[in-house]
Amino acid sequence: MLENSVALGNQAQGFFIKNDRFKTTYISYNFYLPLDKNSVASFALLPFILTTCSKDYPDFSRLNFKLNKLYSASLSASAEKVGDYQLLKVAISVIDDKYALDGENLVNKAVELLNHLIFEPRVENCAFFNSDVEREKRKAIEHIRGEMAEKRIYARRRLVEEMYKNDVYGISKCGTVEQIEKVTPEGLYAAWRDLIESATIVVNVISKTLPLNTFDNIKSYLSAFDRSSAKSVLDSKPTRSICAARRVEEHLDISQGKLVMGFSVDKADDKNNAALTVMCDIFGGGPYSRLFSNVREKMSLCYYCSATIEKRKGLLIVDSGVEASNAKRAEAEILRQLEVIKSGSFSDFEFESSKKAIINLLNGYGDHQEAIDAWYTIKSSSNIQISPEDFVLAVARVDKQAVTNAAKSVKLHTVYNLSPNVSEEGE
Amino acid sequence: MQKQVFESDIGESYTLATLDNGLSVYICEKPSHTSVYAIFGTKYGSIDTCFSKNGGEAISVPEGIAHFLEHKLFESEDGDAFTKYAKTGAMANAFTSFDRTCYLFSCSDRFYENLCILLDFVQSPYFTKETIQKEQGIIGQEIKMYDDSPAFRVLFNMLSAMYIKHAVRIDIAGTVDSIAKIDSNLLYNCYETFYNPSNMFLCIAGNVDTSEVLKKIESSIKPCEPVCIQRMGFEEPATIKKSFIEQKLPILTPIFCYGYKQKINSPYRRLKSKVCVELLLEIICGEASPLYERLMVEGLINDEFEFEYFTGRDYACVIFSGESSNPKRVAEEINSEIENIREHGFDKKLFSAVKCALYGDAIKAFNSVEAIALSFTECAVYDYDLFEKIKLLKTVSYDDVLKRIDVFDEDLSVLSVIAPLEGS
Repeated sequence: MLENSVALGNQAQGFFIKNDRFKTTYISYNFYLPLDKNSVASFALLPFILTTCSKDYPDFSRLNFKLNKLYSASLSASAEKVGDYQLLKVAISVIDDKYALDGENLVNKAVELLNHLIFEPRVENCAFFNSDVEREKRKAIEHIRGEMAEKRIYARRRLVEEMYKNDVYGISKCGTVEQIEKVTPEGLYAAWRDLIESATIVVNVISKTLPLNTFDNIKSYLSAFDRSSAKSVLDSKPTRSICAARRVEEHLDISQGKLVMGFSVDKADDKNNAALTVMCDIFGGGPYSRLFSNVREKMSLCYYCSATIEKRKGLLIVDSGVEASNAKRAEAEILRQLEVIKSGSFSDFEFESSKKAIINLLNGYGDHQEAIDAWYTIKSSSNIQISPEDFVLAVARVDKQAVTNAAKSVKLHTVYNLSPNVSEEGE
Repeated sequence: MQKQVFESDIGESYTLATLDNGLSVYICEKPSHTSVYAIFGTKYGSIDTCFSKNGGEAISVPEGIAHFLEHKLFESEDGDAFTKYAKTGAMANAFTSFDRTCYLFSCSDRFYENLCILLDFVQSPYFTKETIQKEQGIIGQEIKMYDDSPAFRVLFNMLSAMYIKHAVRIDIAGTVDSIAKIDSNLLYNCYETFYNPSNMFLCIAGNVDTSEVLKKIESSIKPCEPVCIQRMGFEEPATIKKSFIEQKLPILTPIFCYGYKQKINSPYRRLKSKVCVELLLEIICGEASPLYERLMVEGLINDEFEFEYFTGRDYACVIFSGESSNPKRVAEEINSEIENIREHGFDKKLFSAVKCALYGDAIKAFNSVEAIALSFTECAVYDYDLFEKIKLLKTVSYDDVLKRIDVFDEDLSVLSVIAPLEGS
């Protein structure tokens, strides 16, 4: 993969990642803004409202008619949380011109459309249209309520809320229902200007060839805005370890309980970055991991039990689906397995399997445009600048001692246990 | 071995080889990709609950046994497959659907070792009383997880209200009671019937060399006499059990599945019919359709709204699903749009746009070795050519699509709703 980097202005950078494996051209705009409870809901609405209507395409069916005519050019929009920042993404993927049946110039039209959607929204008198705003607010609120239906997601969200009550990381990535309800057409317009003017911007282009004038056109769009106040992405505040772990118990009408455990862990730096990944994977990654092979396979305590790590924040989460009657045993076993990693008594087989699986995954990154995009988006705003190829080498160099050292910083912070209502259990 | 090479004008080609024992092998070379995706599968899914082998007596087996067998095959006498894959770093998994069971891996290195692991464990059944008992516990947990999943429940509730006899109405994993009836004799019987190479397929896409792969496969497939499998029909009546079904779960916004059962007179649908119905669905309520806009503006649907033509052996229905504060209104609106199209036809410009869109989607699928390998399984089960869809999308006419409006019969429609529990 070849990478070309182009400065697009203050705190705005374009990357062309050359890759000839795909029949499509993929372009993403990524905006980083600090998490703030007063702005999180407005910012999170923007990727969605910008991809449903615009000045030239005032309604959804006209915009989608255009996308269909571009051979199903697909727009994607998302609002995520990366450390103490909100990451807002708007992207388009379109098949390359040579596949068009009538020789249309699809790629340039799709890039033009993406720029138009971001920089020329459907607004009037410094406000979005009320009907558009209300529609997007309704969808966002329904989305939050819909998460309640998927108990695994719900339980993880609740754990993070409980762990970070006094930290911006506790702010929900799309805001709360109450915060969304307060968004006004004028407020959303102000947020849009703020997004373009103050966010750190990363534009990734992943394709065989860089479409003509792509970065010049983006520069010209950006030059219409005052970006002198745009700030770079800073390091996120670490997760503080606490002496005595907290417990949160909740009940719902469900048949299977969810046990989610949050741990503080060292944040990633140049030295421990790969070791943290390997440590988390030996603990609760693939089928060779301690949690899968012991908690699920040997003890049959749960259908799933896995660990994930947010290295920017220093957060490790173990989540599992367990019978209420097994929750205590599962919790004790999860902690026992962590001690195994800390003491370095995990096997060579687990250690080698984990490294091989991670390397296998990293080597396959270049086969997926979205994965390449995600990697470069995170990389370009991080203090750890590393390509997937270099990360493969770093993982290969990790030794057992580095894993043990990384594990030593893992400390239990909060246990969130969602269990069935007692009256339902006997049915 | 018989070999056939299929070419297309989008710069892709693939080989279909049929081994002497009947195994179908699909290979698509993607030399610029790093990874390879391989699937070893059998035409055996949750709906194959009553069958006979080589003209013998028909037997009925417990619901969920195909899925149970999938779990059990990962264990061989010399250790489980995950442990073997762990030594190579491949990502491995398996799934069971209504009509197939597939074992897969994806790797960016040591492909031939991984292929040997795959071929070996799928051909080496090993069940004991103890391992079966342990699996009953794990699958019991899986079933409970699905019991709590509104998205899963809303679909199976709909199917159970729509189908009276067909096994598509039963959860793929079965029930805690049905899997309790599974023993090693039943597992071996199902295995010997359906895991015969003549009923199986191997689908590979990625950075491989076709002739080398074929050599390796030929030397690793155990010799086996082909079997003749007869799957018993369901005598499914052309009626539904009930038109409305509701369950309450702890959620905040109701979710729904609204389906139309299709009257069918043959076990399988041709690809052309599927493509035409897919186009028709885009015209009725795809994102560029007037109905989609109307439902969105009126606040009746959100981004979760989707639809599909759901069809397999002896079943076919169209399903619309999503979240809505008023699922009954959504169903009424869909019905009224269908009647409108039945009476007046549809916009030709919209027809041309949705054809472009489906064509674009078909091209995009060739970006991914995973998507190609999964499409091959469809080709194997239903005897399609991988490039047929792209060809059809260039040629289907307005009338071809319009006549598929007969798929929709309101009298055979079922609305399934998961509503919030009081106090949620």
